[in-house]
Amino acid sequence: MNAFFVKGYTVDALAMILLCIAVWVLITRARAGMKIPAINKIAGLEALDEAVGRATEMGRPVHTTHGLGGVSDAETFAFWGVLGHVANMCAKYDCRLINTCRSYLVMTVNTEIIKQSYLEAGRPDAFNPDDVRYLSPSQFGYTTAVVGIFAREKPAANIMVGYFYAEALTLAEVGSQVGAVQISGTTSTAQLPFFVVACDYTLIGEEIYAASAYISKNPVLVGSLVAEDWYKILIIAAVLVGTVIANVIGPKDKNWLAEFLKK
Amino acid sequence: MRKELPLIITLIGGLLAMVGKWTVWGDHIKLLTYTDQFDTLVGVMAMMVGAINLTRIHGLNVQRRRSGYAFSIVLLVAMWAYFVLGVIEGYQGKNFRWIYNNLYRNMDATMFSMLCFYIASAAYRAFRIRTREATVLLIAAALVMLGKAPLGETIWAKFGDASNWIMRIPNTASMRGIAIGAYLGGFVTALRILLGIERAHLGGMGGSVQ
Repeated sequence: MNAFFVKGYTVDALAMILLCIAVWVLITRARAGMKIPAINKIAGLEALDEAVGRATEMGRPVHTTHGLGGVSDAETFAFWGVLGHVANMCAKYDCRLINTCRSYLVMTVNTEIIKQSYLEAGRPDAFNPDDVRYLSPSQFGYTTAVVGIFAREKPAANIMVGYFYAEALTLAEVGSQVGAVQISGTTSTAQLPFFVVACDYTLIGEEIYAASAYISKNPVLVGSLVAEDWYKILIIAAVLVGTVIANVIGPKDKNWLAEFLKK
Repeated sequence: MRKELPLIITLIGGLLAMVGKWTVWGDHIKLLTYTDQFDTLVGVMAMMVGAINLTRIHGLNVQRRRSGYAFSIVLLVAMWAYFVLGVIEGYQGKNFRWIYNNLYRNMDATMFSMLCFYIASAAYRAFRIRTREATVLLIAAALVMLGKAPLGETIWAKFGDASNWIMRIPNTASMRGIAIGAYLGGFVTALRILLGIERAHLGGMGGSVQ
């Protein structure tokens, strides 16, 4: 096996193949119309409609951001699942949507997503390209610009889903000060506590990846989430076995599971 | 074809990355070096898109005399003048570096330092005892703060140990739990994108529906 895979990546590759098989099984079941386990209610995603509705009633805009993630980050893809839904609702309710970006590449994708959503809602004329704003590649340059937009435009809803760094708390606190309903979500464990205390709803870790499946209710996408849960059970089992081997059965330097995982 | 072509490009790109990272052959021919160079090239070419977006929005602000248009003038002058200066002097130029070190860095640090005030206001809201969870949060935070501050160990020598235990055991365990879930979620999302099931990035509500 090591003749094919780079040393240190054999288990990674095998784990990926195993996950592929699990996802394929669940997708096949979903396509065949077989029963797929339901996913739990996610309060943060349920609140998206409420947030856009509130902004519409107040006549104030909705602000969305994906944080500092780049175009190739998985978190940014999770954000796009949310953005399409929010943009569609904004188009239907005639609510202004402001999207701010720190990455010019993400900005171009965001523009297309929002434009397409307005088109699907039957209101292509309502799309304003000036509301999809590239602000600055600098972390705090971007933060300052968003704070300025919050102070001037006073959004009634602030949706922050993606990867965030130190700017997370500043954005969330200023959003709270202008009275916006705030829905946040990130996989950054360092920023999650800030979001939890400053926002009304927080999607914790993997919940952001469930967004497009949850919103679309597409059984094929839901099936992939179930496969993820199966895999999580496998990882928990591996952690338990590793703990037992390390602490009960043998000395730490002869932990065969740890050695296998390093291959 | 408008939807299919991006999916095919995504699949090829994803497979190239996997082969380059994991297989001996991919590693040998340094496949990832080529894809990384391509990535950098696309990124640099797209940089002008950002500059054009800023110029268009702020140019319109100035043209239509919208409220606060003076700030738009400042932004446009600063951005393009700094760009021209960089082209003339290079990024190690004396004036270019002076502006960076004496203006940009200070403004950046100012915004960063404001975080301490936001931490205080967020902590005030979080620590108001309204629920059982908030009480647990308050007690844990108080113990960690007392353990980290010199005053805490003066009051009781064990505050440091208590603080370290909270950070090392329950905090690390919960963070790792979240991280494992997040990695798996990212993994499955990547797979969905590669297989063309996840299409949110292609736009609209229909993007994620197969």
